[in-house]
Amino acid sequence: MSTLLNSVETCPELGIEVPVALIDKELRKLWEEDDAQTNASLMNLVVYSEKKGSLVENSAIVRDLTREHACRAILASIDRTVTEPSLRAWITAHCHMANGTKSVCCEQIAFHLTGRVTGRFRNTVFAHLNSDLPLIFWWQGELSDVFTERLVSVIDRLIVDSSAWKNPAAAFEQIVEASQLNSDLVLQDLAWTRSWQFRVGIAALFDDAVAQEALPAIDRVKIVHHPDHRNSAIQLLAWLAVQAGWKGDTIAADGSFRFESKAGVTINGLLQADSDAAPLGEVELASKEVIVSLVRQKGAAHLLKKIEAAGYSANSLSPSDPDDAPELIALQLSRGGKNSLFQKILPRFRKLL
Amino acid sequence: MNPFREDLVSRSRPEPCTVVIFGATGDLTHRKLVPALYNLAVDGELPTGVKIIGFARRAKSDEEFRTGLEELNRKVSRSGHNDEIWKNLVENIFYHESEFTDPDGYRRLAERLAAIDEERGGKGNHLFYIASAPEFFDDILTQLKAAGLSQAKEGCWSRVIVEKPFGTDLATAKHLNEVVNATFHESDTYRIDHYLGKETAQNLMVLRFANAIFEPLWNSKYISHIQITCAENLGMEGGRGGYYEKSGALRDMVQNHLLQLLSLVAMEPPTDLSADGVRDEKVKVIRSLRQWDTPEKVAANVIRAQYTAGHIDGAAVPGYREEDRVSPESKTEAYVAVRLLIDTWRWSGVPFYIRMGKRLPKKSTEISVHFKDAPDVLFGALTGGVPGGNVLVIRIQPDEGISLRMVSKIPGTSLRLEPVKMDFHYSTSFGKSSPEAYERLLLDAIAGDATLFARRDEVEEAWRFIDHIENAWHKSDNPPPMAEFVAGSWGPREADDLIKRDGHAWRRL
Repeated sequence: MSTLLNSVETCPELGIEVPVALIDKELRKLWEEDDAQTNASLMNLVVYSEKKGSLVENSAIVRDLTREHACRAILASIDRTVTEPSLRAWITAHCHMANGTKSVCCEQIAFHLTGRVTGRFRNTVFAHLNSDLPLIFWWQGELSDVFTERLVSVIDRLIVDSSAWKNPAAAFEQIVEASQLNSDLVLQDLAWTRSWQFRVGIAALFDDAVAQEALPAIDRVKIVHHPDHRNSAIQLLAWLAVQAGWKGDTIAADGSFRFESKAGVTINGLLQADSDAAPLGEVELASKEVIVSLVRQKGAAHLLKKIEAAGYSANSLSPSDPDDAPELIALQLSRGGKNSLFQKILPRFRKLL
Repeated sequence: MNPFREDLVSRSRPEPCTVVIFGATGDLTHRKLVPALYNLAVDGELPTGVKIIGFARRAKSDEEFRTGLEELNRKVSRSGHNDEIWKNLVENIFYHESEFTDPDGYRRLAERLAAIDEERGGKGNHLFYIASAPEFFDDILTQLKAAGLSQAKEGCWSRVIVEKPFGTDLATAKHLNEVVNATFHESDTYRIDHYLGKETAQNLMVLRFANAIFEPLWNSKYISHIQITCAENLGMEGGRGGYYEKSGALRDMVQNHLLQLLSLVAMEPPTDLSADGVRDEKVKVIRSLRQWDTPEKVAANVIRAQYTAGHIDGAAVPGYREEDRVSPESKTEAYVAVRLLIDTWRWSGVPFYIRMGKRLPKKSTEISVHFKDAPDVLFGALTGGVPGGNVLVIRIQPDEGISLRMVSKIPGTSLRLEPVKMDFHYSTSFGKSSPEAYERLLLDAIAGDATLFARRDEVEEAWRFIDHIENAWHKSDNPPPMAEFVAGSWGPREADDLIKRDGHAWRRL
């Protein structure tokens, strides 16, 4: 028995261990114990991880997530170091006071699997979904052989974090292939979510007449990012290029990017890694007359947005994106939608990788 | 054209502008408007470069004005108070001292706005928010026009938001509309009704038109009647009696908020979600209201009442005529119940009931849609029969949500039926709090989306309906009587009789 399971068995976070065949019955008993509680669920949230110790970590994350997002949570942890097949399950409920008066609870089922898991994992998860509610699948870490076309075919929303991948080009290729049978799949990359407020901020700055007039003359783009978040920076650059209609996508010998605007202006795109920066630390779009910039200091809760031109200056603050994955997930769940913008920029992003 | 806006958010684009608030030293500015702008800034929704000018009569410096706003924002802001955000916002807030009738004050305002616009490269959008006492509405609008402020420069816009009350009857509303439309184009006029900014009110159209199961049943074939209730447990605390004596429940709540809710419930599907698409359908509902245009019709379909002394939450409360700033001889209604008929194909024969009252047992606003009973051939003979029909309840406030009552079998060997309730609570399902109504409405006005604002014809048609009732009460030789109810009860017996005549009863909240 692995050390992981030893620690899991003694961890109250996961609740009570139950035989897999009795999960539904035991969940009903859980609710019958206290009829003052309200069982709330708007979605099935599956959190999948192949990292040791993930069940307990993810249970704590789900406990926080359920404050705002009522769901049936299914946690899955796979231990590939043990070859003998096994499957264990725990159930619990995360309860919070809503409006200070009502105890609102969300069910959680945690599974720990060992041995060959591909088919067993899929069948186990599918058997415990709440019917009629969408399936949100948060895949943590690198994709593996469990990530198959059949698994993807039943997922409504797939959440990944490409910044955790060693080879994002290959991983995106795998997702595109696996989603052939599911044209409705909504793909959400937390690396993309990390740039949300920057994108909103850029759009807001270009509402200003001074910035808007300068857009055709923009010839420099600089994005400062933390080394771990290069994908966020490339996605942001891809978004700028797609939205502004920049063509080209040449990668120069020094690693910088070259685009050509509709007006024929050559745009130099520079990604600058800085280990002291926030995941996305700065975006600057500049022409000879105007500089439009957004800056986020490491750990800061706000972005400083600026427009600077001869005789004109405007600045304002707006919220920044959170850094950690659970908060980004919470934001993603709040926004919903088809994430069509990401689908739109994905081919360009993959080209720039 | 800003290409970065494309596909970003599904709402109209708010543009940088200067917001001028008339009546800037008042409660509304301090408690609602500036906190709403602050919260928009917190959420990153407020466009960069928005400036706010408070226009009022009292002598104040920018600093004094800002300090007062900050004190209230710390107390009332939905998202708390962040010094960094506030500092950034407050740098763009200014005070402009002037009488509302003083042309020189407006000339100076125009110069100030021109200077701000100059910084923006000569372009400037202006939003004028008239939050002053209603007697100054005319003067402010006239002076804005005289100072040339109602005319936007090319490529820019100049809009006006007018607070309620929008007139006190049809004649004053028409007059005000004439003044507004002589100053601003109708498409730049935003008559605010904060009920329309509430999340549940906005959800009404989604509930009706995004769910296929309701609309086929939403007509006289399946619906028995609809009730709209706005209950308040407060009375005339805080000197409200003075204002209320002049308005009363009918003009204060029914003419605007409750008729707006009625129109959302009863409207036909709009052809699109544009402001006029939605408002075209809403106004048809108000226009189709059968008019209670004689004192006899009013007596038969409308009940007015005042409360007498009673108890609420265990505490003794005075009767209406004993309240502060209320005349002991008052003829103002603190409760009104109206039976309405909408003469359209869809609603023929379906009564709508609106009730609004002060000093009722609890605070609650809701719409309940009562469906007709199923044929009783199967279960009618059971002991106890079939307990009531299906009721769909849309709770506007508090505890926003939707519930559906249906009949279910009680578990056991015998066949007994009981009503059960399926309940959806916003707070349970969505942990995140909704923005305040003023946040949504201010942002919509800045973005040029008038969907949630009342149009001129809506306001006038509503007043046309209300005026008949007011005239019967206050101008006829044989006015319908003023009923009474004990404070803390659910209204007068006469209101119960009104609905009972149709074979219905008020929903117990």
